[in-house]
Amino acid sequence: MEREESKSNIRNTYAISKRTILFGVIPIVVIGAMIILLLNSPGMLFQSTIKPLPEISIEKVEFSDRGITAYVRNTGPSNTTIAQADVNDRIHPAAVEPSRILTRLADAKVIIPFVWNTGEPYKIGITTEDGTRFEKSVKSAAPAPHPTPQQASTFAIIGTYVGIIPVMMGLAWYPFIRRLSPNKYNFFLSLTAGLLVFLGIDALLESNEIAVNALSSAFNAQILIIMVAIITFVSLLYVSQRLIKRATNRSKPEIEFNTGYSSHTEPDLEVSDTKSSTSFQRQVMIRPIAISMMIAIGIGLHNFGEGLAIGAAVLLGEVALSSFLILGFTLHNTTEGLAIVAPMAKSRRIPITKLIIMGLIAGGPTIIGAWIGGFLYSPIATVIFLSIGAGAIFQVVYSIGSWMYHTNGSRGLLNNHWIIIGFAFGMLIMYLTGLLT
Amino acid sequence: MSYPRIVVLFGIATSIVFLAISTILYSRSSLSEQNSSKLETFGGHTPGYPILTTTGDVIDPMNSVINPKNAVVDPMKYLREFNYGRVSTSPNGTVIRDFTLIASDQHTKEVSPGVFYNVWTFNGTIPGPTIRATEGDIVRITLINEGTKFHSIHFHGIHPAEMDGVFEGIAPGGKFTYEFTAEPFGLFLYHCHMQPLEEHIGHGLYGVYIVDPKQGRPPADEMVMLMNGYDTDFDSENNFYTVNGIPFYYMHHPIQIEKNRLIRIYLVNMLEFDPLNNFHLHANLFNFYKTGTKLVPDEYTDIVSLNQGERGILEFSYKYPGKYMFHAHKTEFAEKGWVGLFLVKDDKNESVNQSLNVTSAMNNTSYSKNNFSNVTNIVPIGGYK
Repeated sequence: MEREESKSNIRNTYAISKRTILFGVIPIVVIGAMIILLLNSPGMLFQSTIKPLPEISIEKVEFSDRGITAYVRNTGPSNTTIAQADVNDRIHPAAVEPSRILTRLADAKVIIPFVWNTGEPYKIGITTEDGTRFEKSVKSAAPAPHPTPQQASTFAIIGTYVGIIPVMMGLAWYPFIRRLSPNKYNFFLSLTAGLLVFLGIDALLESNEIAVNALSSAFNAQILIIMVAIITFVSLLYVSQRLIKRATNRSKPEIEFNTGYSSHTEPDLEVSDTKSSTSFQRQVMIRPIAISMMIAIGIGLHNFGEGLAIGAAVLLGEVALSSFLILGFTLHNTTEGLAIVAPMAKSRRIPITKLIIMGLIAGGPTIIGAWIGGFLYSPIATVIFLSIGAGAIFQVVYSIGSWMYHTNGSRGLLNNHWIIIGFAFGMLIMYLTGLLT
Repeated sequence: MSYPRIVVLFGIATSIVFLAISTILYSRSSLSEQNSSKLETFGGHTPGYPILTTTGDVIDPMNSVINPKNAVVDPMKYLREFNYGRVSTSPNGTVIRDFTLIASDQHTKEVSPGVFYNVWTFNGTIPGPTIRATEGDIVRITLINEGTKFHSIHFHGIHPAEMDGVFEGIAPGGKFTYEFTAEPFGLFLYHCHMQPLEEHIGHGLYGVYIVDPKQGRPPADEMVMLMNGYDTDFDSENNFYTVNGIPFYYMHHPIQIEKNRLIRIYLVNMLEFDPLNNFHLHANLFNFYKTGTKLVPDEYTDIVSLNQGERGILEFSYKYPGKYMFHAHKTEFAEKGWVGLFLVKDDKNESVNQSLNVTSAMNNTSYSKNNFSNVTNIVPIGGYK
């Protein structure tokens, strides 16, 4: 009783009164006054005689019959002016569009008329008014892809090979997985987790590489990666739990695989039980199809990032697309399809249309990613999407992990050697097929 | 029943995709906000390279002139400006030459079009004024330090230890008069000798000091060429290379000389960071007098390499009119500014036809007038207006 009283007291205090508003507003007013004071007191406070150092980021370099075009952004603390441009440290005439004066975070195109040689490496330099030179290396010059129908269909074909076909091939393992004994099934589930952990780490490393090489420190991109990944992780976790809970409440009979601490095939758990149980137990209610769908979405986001990277690599001349490379990606991504079907193995038979939808969700974004990456490359967008993909994948790994934990009874995860072997094997497969790309 | 879930999740996924697309498009949109009121042509210095038009700003150091108000030096004025000082005579008849050099280190000037650099200067320019005397003269140089750091002047040549400008720095606001006899004749240089040397020299505290032989040298069109560089981003590598202070200057302002007239260049290498610099003359050879301390040439050549601080005198004349390039044969230096042109003007008495006849007779090659003029119109690097 005492408890309830105090609760109601708290509730009263929480009611928004005029005083609450006042207490909320006071700090803001003080901060505002301080800002006004600082901005309107020239010479009084912190007047620095040192001009802040300029910083220019060369985000993209394009090669065309017009010459070389560098896309630059002022990522420094103040306005700056572009003074000169060079190719391989040799000064060349150039034009800056729209203007050589760049306000903070403004961007510009620097067009250098230059007859370049296909396949040769180039270094593009931009010198600012204070004489500081900023450089961007291009490994191999190649004509920039233009959004022609032909180029778009080339990217679509690459995306199909790299994204859709391998995922669909992986999905074809569904009947095989269904016929496995529990231990072997555990093996494949943990193999899936291994594959996904590898993909997640891969995405984080790749986004970090782009963040370091293509983005200026002004964007704090490395923190952004972790931030976006964590936000994606927790929000997908929330979304999936909500959806699963709703589905569970609504369609009790569909639950086939919720045995929690007992064997694998016992049906049903009372809904009322679920309501009264802890969130720990509720985790048991995750439906396999939901996990598979989450995996498909996670992989879809990952493949979107991969598509961006492939398109960008073609654009930046970092990759000479060969059938061997495509083959490598195809093998590498086949395992993604396996990851999608593994959790559904012991559930009710899944209609083929649903499988195909999942395959498209997982594989299709590669094509969209390749289009965007190839035609509208933006390093910041690539970094954000790779991070979202990483967060999504780790959420899926978490779901698989907790799923296995509860279906595996009291034995725990790490006491089953099949799980450990599968996990290690999953990562190893990814590593080895990754060597092909 | 599970379709709504798919729809919701697919909706989330697609909205993220569209968010990305719109973000990218937004970030690109600022590029399209272009001012279309002006249309400028750029490029085309190199044969076969695209010539483009732009609504933006053209940055072309090979073709743009620095506003004289900001420029670190006027290379055309510096080229033929020799300072003989305020002349007086001592009781025993010796010529005394008084010079004043003011050191400063706080000004920011334009060293290449659009590039502003904190220059340390003698009398406000890089290079400092050319000081010229005759062997045996008494040279008195008063250094006034208007900078914020200690500075000095160290002259090359023969003089007493206390006039060497090494151990005694002149404090900010201070003043000192260096006095010595100009000896021997030759081509020398002067520079600040405060440490760190790299800093004081790299920022521009140097100039040329010429001691003429008593009997003089044959009359000639004389000019000074000081080769230097600027490390504007302080990475111990030069960003710009010049002759006489501003990159590419003599590309858009060719040095006009007369055909068949003797040209004498006092060439000094003040380049920091790069150990070697050189001078190559097109379509001609020159007599080279190493350090200028002898009156007979050491070499007859079209290229000379000089280490840091080395110098020499070049003598040549052009037989044919036209535009001729001179530059560092280290192509990196040339393409970062150390390149220029001589415009050889025809002798007023001779017509173009006559000179062309001479050309074909001498070379046993028949040039038509058209061919010849075509050839002279092609400029390998850097255009001219």
